[in-house]
Amino acid sequence: MSDRYFNPFASVDILVPTEFKEDFGRFCQTGGRAVIDHSPFPRMVDLWFLAVCVAARKGLDPAEIDRRDTYKIIDGSIFSSDPWRVHTLMMIAISQSNDVGIVVEPRRMMSLANGLATAGFPHVMDMLKDGDAEPIWNLSEAIETLERDAA
Amino acid sequence: MKLLRAQFSNFRLLRDLDIQFSTSPERPLTVVRAANESGKTTMLNALQWGLYGDPALPNGGEGMRLHPIDWDAGRDGRRVPIMVTIEFEVTSVRRTPAGFKETRRRYRLVRSTHEDVDQDRFSRAQSSVRLFAITETGDTPLQSPEAIIADELPTELRDVFFTDGDRALSFIEADVAVSTKRDRVQRAIRSLLGLGVIKDAMRHVEKTAGEINKAARKLGGTDELGSIAARLEEIETDRDRLDGELTEAHSSHANLDGQIADIDRRIASALAKGDREKLANDIDATRKEIGKIDTQLDGAVKEHAALFRGIELARGVLGAALAPAYQKLDALYDRKEIPSATIPVLEDRLDIGSCICGESLSDSDPKGAKRRAHVCELIEKSQRADDIQKMVTALYFGSKALEPPADGEGGAFGEAYRGVVEKRDGLQDLRDDTGRKLRALELQIDDMPDADVASLRKARREFENQKDRVKFREGQIDTQLAGLVAEHGGLKERRDSLLREQTKGARILAELEVATDVSGVLKRAFDRITDEELVKVSDLMNEIFLDMIGADAAQGALIQRAEVSREFDILVFGPNGRKLDPDRDLNGASRRALTLAFILALTRVSEVEAPNVIDTPLGMMSGFVKRSVLRKAASLSSQLVLFLTHSEIEGCEAILDEMAGEVMTLTNPAHFPRMLVNDPGDGARKVIRCDCNHRSHCHICERIDDESPALVDGGDAYV
Repeated sequence: MSDRYFNPFASVDILVPTEFKEDFGRFCQTGGRAVIDHSPFPRMVDLWFLAVCVAARKGLDPAEIDRRDTYKIIDGSIFSSDPWRVHTLMMIAISQSNDVGIVVEPRRMMSLANGLATAGFPHVMDMLKDGDAEPIWNLSEAIETLERDAA
Repeated sequence: MKLLRAQFSNFRLLRDLDIQFSTSPERPLTVVRAANESGKTTMLNALQWGLYGDPALPNGGEGMRLHPIDWDAGRDGRRVPIMVTIEFEVTSVRRTPAGFKETRRRYRLVRSTHEDVDQDRFSRAQSSVRLFAITETGDTPLQSPEAIIADELPTELRDVFFTDGDRALSFIEADVAVSTKRDRVQRAIRSLLGLGVIKDAMRHVEKTAGEINKAARKLGGTDELGSIAARLEEIETDRDRLDGELTEAHSSHANLDGQIADIDRRIASALAKGDREKLANDIDATRKEIGKIDTQLDGAVKEHAALFRGIELARGVLGAALAPAYQKLDALYDRKEIPSATIPVLEDRLDIGSCICGESLSDSDPKGAKRRAHVCELIEKSQRADDIQKMVTALYFGSKALEPPADGEGGAFGEAYRGVVEKRDGLQDLRDDTGRKLRALELQIDDMPDADVASLRKARREFENQKDRVKFREGQIDTQLAGLVAEHGGLKERRDSLLREQTKGARILAELEVATDVSGVLKRAFDRITDEELVKVSDLMNEIFLDMIGADAAQGALIQRAEVSREFDILVFGPNGRKLDPDRDLNGASRRALTLAFILALTRVSEVEAPNVIDTPLGMMSGFVKRSVLRKAASLSSQLVLFLTHSEIEGCEAILDEMAGEVMTLTNPAHFPRMLVNDPGDGARKVIRCDCNHRSHCHICERIDDESPALVDGGDAYV
């Protein structure tokens, strides 16, 4: 019987350049005791995922990360609880590669996503910091504006 | 940002000192009165060290002793813990559907280090800093304290926020090169523009270039390994000791919590009579209500954060970015290449137990079982051959949820966000109202003539104070531990790197060239934006300066105009546009007024709400200019902290009466008997604080040259 929530990324690593490590620590609640208004992302993967989406939206080219120092924030098994994220990553991969066949190549899709996240991350940092309020408010406003602009 | 309170421990003359700052908008001035050698400049340095670390000390702290000079290593130990704690408040403004909403948050910053004293020599460990958000429910440590401080008080504006009266002339002083002065003015103005992003990018490129160089260098092994290993052992010992102290502090904390709860019960019981009983019930109910609101507020904040992991966020951000993929999938669907219907149909028949033709597929029937095995085989074959089709089919249906909203349909993220904002703001307003209600009820209770309750409340306050001190100590130990952990990590890395020598490959030149080009582009953008802000600062500086010195251009005053030139020189012009040299043609008071005008204009134009802390700003001034400078500075700064000598205060008392919200006096006991009337009775070289203001003195601070003492403070002091 086929599993409609099959997660092809289950054993693929989500990688982030080491230079972003401090910002991930600052803006994610991972580790507990965080003040949510200052660290709006519940998990590191949420920040990573937003960076992927922002890069896709802005039409950024995926950054080359193979030769950079990276570290693993988690593996793709985390998407098993959010199947829509699997679909989002696949749709982004098809849009970027113009190749439907990419859906059976999880490593290639994840490599694309990691590159996009790296390209989109500085933009997310701007969204968090641009504004006079705490990061959670700055980010919310920025996303609302993006959404409004798309309508 | 406004300073609320600062505490200094073993920082030179400031062995144990606590001061509060005025935050009143009507009285924004805090005055620390102190004679020479009484800790004014030390306090200015200590505040800067607390916020920015060693780089903020004179000469970057190189060779500068921080511990008290008469530290008795034999009695108190060779290791001197040094600490500065600063509490501050940050006001932030954000847009809401109903307009702008202002929120205030309080923070406590703790910077600590230690110096190991060996006779005349000493060595200082790298300082560590912790930042805590102060809320009614407790203190929460924050990540990246340096980044938060840099946001509120940019390092480049340090000379603007913290000014030594003598060094205030640094922007125009004669003894330094023109290029140095220009550089100082230029740096201060650039930091105003919040050009952090470009600057960060420039630093990043520089760092990358450094990394490229580093990669090319060979490392050599040394006997440094031995000393690193020894220090690592020392750190382990200190960590064990601090862990023990922290456990002890936690235990005291818990004990005090128990005592406070016990007093609360006794107060509740004492109040449980007649009207008091009603009041007690009201207070109890209000406290419970606050507890509930706090829980709801926590929930609303979490709900807000949950927006950043939901599908609405992805839909809102992606917009039409997935359109190419949708087109591909729709085309496959139109060509009937998806959905992959065979397998689901066969699986359905297996579940039903009969074939499309009506024959049985049941296991209990031998023919049915055979057909069933055949169907299973068909499914397996299809699965192997159809991986892509299957995935794409699931994706075709699954991705429907990601499609952007149809025309005219509002964004789901925006809708959810507005709901959260409404909820959070509503609850926060309710929390503020209920908090006010509780304070009003407590005041009513306090006003009731009930000695027993009053003394219980007094005891409760005592316990609360003790608890504050324990919490304070916990924060200090926490900070020291964090410092040791960081030092440990650094040393360990160094040790490991000494064991791992290696040579990396080339490509260095090409990579360095790219870094240089990118750096050039960024610098040109940086320079262009700077010029536009220059004009605003120049105009405001001119206005403030002329007002301070009482110069009226229309009346033919000697000084007609001041400006900051495009070359970042501060210039002053006399009649007929004749250029005056601020270094040589202005008297001391006007030069000081000019630099203060520049500093105040910078702060004002930046629209940064930040304190101006100035040491001896009124030296060399008298009469009209002194009073005018003081009044102007106090009215333009959102929070002005002045360290003033007695002679600077002379003649300005009425302005301080009107504009100072906090005034205190610092005294150096070593001034007895030559300058102090009484012996403060403390052998140690340390500054003592008393609450005497600009019009009074007490047995601690009374000076021999004080002329008109008058009594205050129960007969011990004079007004």
